[in-house]
Amino acid sequence: MAEMWINMGPQHPMTHGLWNLRVKVDGETIVDAEPEVGYLHRGIEKLCEARTYPQIIPIADRLCYGSSLTWSHLYCLTVEDLMDIEVPERAEYIRVMAIEMQRIASHLMWLAAYAGDLGLAVGFTYTMRDREVFVDLLQALTGSRLTYNYPRIGGVAHDLPPDFERDTVRAVQYMEMRLKEYEDLFDGSKIFMMRNVGIGILRKEDGINLGVTGPSLRASGVDYDLRKDMPYSVYPEMDFEVVKHEDGDCYARYRVRMDEMWESCRIIRQALQKMPTGRWRVVAPRNAPVGTGLGRVEDPRGEAVMYAVGDGTDRPYRLKIRSPIFVTVSAAPKILVGYKLADVVAIMGGLDMCIGENDR
Amino acid sequence: MSEGDKRSSAGVVGIETAPSRVGENPERRVLRALAESFPKTVSEGTQLRPGVMRAKVDRSDLYSVCRTLREDLGFEHLTMISAVDYDDRFEIIYHIASYQSRLLIELISTTPKDDPVVDSVSSIWGGANWQERESYDLMGIEFKSHPKLERILLPKDVLYHPLRKDFRG
Repeated sequence: MAEMWINMGPQHPMTHGLWNLRVKVDGETIVDAEPEVGYLHRGIEKLCEARTYPQIIPIADRLCYGSSLTWSHLYCLTVEDLMDIEVPERAEYIRVMAIEMQRIASHLMWLAAYAGDLGLAVGFTYTMRDREVFVDLLQALTGSRLTYNYPRIGGVAHDLPPDFERDTVRAVQYMEMRLKEYEDLFDGSKIFMMRNVGIGILRKEDGINLGVTGPSLRASGVDYDLRKDMPYSVYPEMDFEVVKHEDGDCYARYRVRMDEMWESCRIIRQALQKMPTGRWRVVAPRNAPVGTGLGRVEDPRGEAVMYAVGDGTDRPYRLKIRSPIFVTVSAAPKILVGYKLADVVAIMGGLDMCIGENDR
Repeated sequence: MSEGDKRSSAGVVGIETAPSRVGENPERRVLRALAESFPKTVSEGTQLRPGVMRAKVDRSDLYSVCRTLREDLGFEHLTMISAVDYDDRFEIIYHIASYQSRLLIELISTTPKDDPVVDSVSSIWGGANWQERESYDLMGIEFKSHPKLERILLPKDVLYHPLRKDFRG
């Protein structure tokens, strides 16, 4: 049969953002694929060169609408490394707790979108409802619902609000109850399993070579999580497991994210228990020294890295941002080839695309 | 490729060319292996903090240094390629990680302003492909023998490289 190229995007329900996946099909089988990105390029790296260090925190939030707190946290880590600032311990615990809440909210938003993609409308409404619990908590903590602007260079903006510990414990209990329900809902759905198991297999060697990181790589059997393997903040104090799965298919990627939410619940509890009293912010200098700073964290989507170059002024000379999804999506052709056109939605949905950080 | 469950950096797998010396930590061992294999082109190896080190490499030997890192020293994950435009040079910085020994190396290569060309490493790490295209797109660094060196974030007909310091919008 004659082969042809099909554009899935830039406007397509599968894309969750603005990008284009060109697939070459032979009948219904995919023989080649080529992602096209850049529709949402805002020039954030150039923008940052004209802003002072504190002004960049809200810009870093805008990198990813699904997990903005991890990006502003990463930015602050990078600048603290550049300026050599010691953050108070209480601030570190608050940060860890907040970014784990953000991880749960991000994974739930992914699960909602994924359920919607695969025609499981109940899954969409349930997960979005329960994401609200954590968005409400973050709103109580930071004041906003989506782009939080909460971490500061040298700590966090303010201390915990009244009764926050009580509300958090309740939210975590609620979430653990709901997670069991989701497992029944999704794993018990024949259609969901048919569209996931054995679809979109990424071999371990390919995943490593193509630079895939985060849950997608752990689903291919690589035991690597920066929270454990190059620990930052107070993660060494936390007792949690790195989740991995051997199969490397869409179901394994779903499974890894589900189990990560259990681990995040554990980390939130421990952070609350171990949180010391004291200051939550130190004063940061206005100007950075000449030198470089590196921050490397485990984003909900993979390995996020920032590299800042200081030149003695109050603005960064250069800020390079490594988006995990940018590299992961470049591996898409390897995963897609050989499957049917109808599997594209499941495969690309399972990678948890976020175009904001992809295009920067 | 066996992973093992070793989380401590003590058990570095894959460094056959550099047997450990007494009291030598894994970071220094990697830097010494590089300096011994490429005495003329690898310089200024330092350890920045536990698990993170930095070395400078001349661009003429970049490809072979990267291949040694990938094949002999177990650095199988190219994390990030950054390009920085300084007054007198371009710096291309490779952050390369190892899933086995949990180390990270920062490899710095420089090019003159009028000749921003380095070898492509996308045949060593497939993940370098798009990152090199991004550096070409935004900073105008050319990667020799890259399979498809085209713009990726900006439209194809754009004439400038916006992250360069002489760019005025």
